[in-house]
Amino acid sequence: MLEPKNHVCRVILLPSGLRGEIPQGTNLLEGARMLGVELESICGGRQTCGKCQIMVEEGSFAKHAVTSIRHHLSPIEGREAAYWERHESKGRRLACAAQVSGDLLVTVPEESQAHKQVIAKAATQRAIEVQPAVRQLYVECDLARLDDPRGDWERLQEAMAKQWGLNGITIDPVLLPGLQPALRDGRGAVTLSLWQDAEVLRIQAGYAEGVYGLAIDVGSTTVAAHLCDLRTGAVLTTEVMMNPQVRFGEDLMSRVSYGMMDPDGVGRMHRAIIQGLNELAEKAALAAGLSAKDILDVVLVGNSVMHHLMLGIDPVELGGAPFALAISGPLDLKARDLGLTAVHVAARVHILPCIAGQNGADNMAVLLATAPHEQDQMMLVVDIGTNAEILLGDRQQVLAASSPTGPAFEGAQITHGQRAAPGAIERTRISPENLELKFKVIGREEWIDESTQAAATGVCGSGIIEAIAEMFLAGIIDRDGRFMEAASQRSWRVRFNGRAGEFVLAKPDQTASKAPIVITQNDVRSVQLAKAALYAGVKLLMRRRRVDRVDRILLAGAFGSFISPQHAMVLGLIPDCDLDKVTAVGNAAGDGARIALLNRKRRSEAAELARQVDYVSIAVEPRFQDEFVAAMALPHAVDPFPHLNQHWPGQLKGQHQGRPRRRFNLVKSI
Amino acid sequence: MSEELEITELETSELLEIIHDCLYDGMAEDVVAGVKELLRRGMSPYDTLTQGLVAGMDIVGVDFRDGILFVPEVLMAAKAMKAGMAILRPLLAETGAPAIGTMVIGTVKGDIHDIGKNLVTMMMEGAGFKVVDLGINNDADKFIQAVREHQTDILGMSALLTTTMPYMKVVIQALKEAGLRDKVVVLVGGAPVNAPFAEAIQADAYCRDASVAVQTAKKLLAEKRNQVMVG
Repeated sequence: MLEPKNHVCRVILLPSGLRGEIPQGTNLLEGARMLGVELESICGGRQTCGKCQIMVEEGSFAKHAVTSIRHHLSPIEGREAAYWERHESKGRRLACAAQVSGDLLVTVPEESQAHKQVIAKAATQRAIEVQPAVRQLYVECDLARLDDPRGDWERLQEAMAKQWGLNGITIDPVLLPGLQPALRDGRGAVTLSLWQDAEVLRIQAGYAEGVYGLAIDVGSTTVAAHLCDLRTGAVLTTEVMMNPQVRFGEDLMSRVSYGMMDPDGVGRMHRAIIQGLNELAEKAALAAGLSAKDILDVVLVGNSVMHHLMLGIDPVELGGAPFALAISGPLDLKARDLGLTAVHVAARVHILPCIAGQNGADNMAVLLATAPHEQDQMMLVVDIGTNAEILLGDRQQVLAASSPTGPAFEGAQITHGQRAAPGAIERTRISPENLELKFKVIGREEWIDESTQAAATGVCGSGIIEAIAEMFLAGIIDRDGRFMEAASQRSWRVRFNGRAGEFVLAKPDQTASKAPIVITQNDVRSVQLAKAALYAGVKLLMRRRRVDRVDRILLAGAFGSFISPQHAMVLGLIPDCDLDKVTAVGNAAGDGARIALLNRKRRSEAAELARQVDYVSIAVEPRFQDEFVAAMALPHAVDPFPHLNQHWPGQLKGQHQGRPRRRFNLVKSI
Repeated sequence: MSEELEITELETSELLEIIHDCLYDGMAEDVVAGVKELLRRGMSPYDTLTQGLVAGMDIVGVDFRDGILFVPEVLMAAKAMKAGMAILRPLLAETGAPAIGTMVIGTVKGDIHDIGKNLVTMMMEGAGFKVVDLGINNDADKFIQAVREHQTDILGMSALLTTTMPYMKVVIQALKEAGLRDKVVVLVGGAPVNAPFAEAIQADAYCRDASVAVQTAKKLLAEKRNQVMVG
């Protein structure tokens, strides 16, 4: 059949009302994005997560001048068909699986809309000695004379040596055209911005003040930049953006796959992040009333895949064992060589070293910010994401590892899981007496109890942790994580589909979809797997250091900021510890980047640390499976939790619903 | 909470039930005692295996599939099963009892996470299969060599990462080139794997968990053997 070329389809999206024309054959997820509607997608368009559900409104809509029918989307097949076999469709489609072939009026249900995420990535005030890599020097230079044939640059070098004791300074050649005009305008006086007391990055006429730097944590989901005054160390502004690579794959491994599958995948992801960083620099500068050209130094950190993609290196080797890095050491480069053209033309970039293939430069930054290597006490630092990065140690030795927790803590693979966004249930309290509960949703201050209406959209990672810990404390699930049959007699909230239980967290009148939000037996299982992986990793490091307890626990990352330490401990996500010594430290990777930006000695310290830290590959440790299995019980099959016991005397033992066992009288029968 | 029973005084049907219970609860000693008692009563090693152990592990498999039992419990049950098997294996060899089948299993190149694979191994052994476990990080040559070396009926591959999963296709291609593809049933599994992927790479089936793996292995093997008989 001959199709007219460049045929376009008219698409209207409700409830936003955003509309426009998109080329025939466009994938609806992409098409919605073109029209300004972001749909939630955890799998990044792989037709698996089912988060991008939409409904086609059928009929002739004079108001919108469209005739919309479901056949204007490509038929359901393949993975989408498989998805709907497992889930109730109610006539919905997965936007990522549907190609547009005609005009459409589409409703995007609330739970499918992507919200701007709530992330705790504000800069913290931590004492950092300000000793930046770039500083300004005011220099008065002899004017040219007939009897002095040297160049102006050589005269300036001499002035620096005389006035500042700095010898052998070089200049970025791109500055040379500006040298004589600056000297002329300043009548021999210039302010130089000097990098590492070695290279001139900027020449300003006369006396000038103001040198700025940018510390950026390139997370796989969020990119956070702190714009700092390099003289005072003050954070002028913090800007956050979604990582523009998200459209190529939600998690790290899907981005590595994208690079493997698409010949220009790596290039596309590289350009996307560099362009994103340029925009971020401009946004930050604007917010601080500056120009991005005032930025002379940039520190970048990120996990190893982000690290490689920023540098344009194919991360394919990081996609499987032995997770080989192309380079692990620190890097000093010109911003322009990386394509960071928004900042000053001679600006510098420093990239912190990576510890290992799975503990990247972001983890190095966490190490810098939390400094276990300066502690007398045993400190545990965990940064929880799809992988949990673990640091354990003290002054004597620091160990690092990464544990495959999977995406459960981010709300994926959970029946009603979602990312942390307005509408997500983030807190839960269940009364052990009558199993009544109250919860809190993101974006609403007060507790929502039995009688309050709400429009909850799902449960975020921290909400899942809390709900399951509360379910355990209230005797709804037993130590093994199994639903208690007896609990269904205590409350209507506990119900059984056959033999598998589920718990109703929000009633139909408390949800956006008007269907209850539940935690199922399989949800509990997913969380058990994730938490056991983390705990087992921690335990293996503790064994390696021959300690049976830790003195301090720091929870890093956005997730770590939102979870309640008590509940994390009840669940056995982290080992026992004095609860007062368990603290969330927010975006420690961003703080570490800022430390490296403001203090150049810390950069060499990081380089040194990267070599000293002992990396442990826990997946191949012989004891990993045993530790993993023992850590599946709540809080743990055998490890004691003395501090928690003080907090919840008696409750922590949990219930055990063994059947009455029948066994042989072995003594007699032998 | 346990009721102790005199093993010699039980009816055989009740004895079997209790062996199933003991497997479910992961009590290796009791399973061993039960197996010995069955043999003492003159039950053949093959019947002891199928009616005592395999039937008991079937119950474990169903409850694992439904989320009622979880990894730790299943591992305990599998260990108990193994203890019973240790007694039966030499006897089975002696009597020349029909083998249920042989499986070669491993995680593919680049993948070092093996707990899921270990679970499949144990459940398959629980179902009476002989399992050759190649461990982690196997390239195509290793799989092929093992398939050749052992009278392999089933090849199982596992991958936990989206990035290592494509290697399964490489192995299947290598099987074809070695002329072995039609000789084995290929089962794939692991967190990122799904049925469309299995189909795309021309594996015989995707198995969601260890319990599904056992059922699928039995089913496909039976079909294959029927075909051979018919053909």
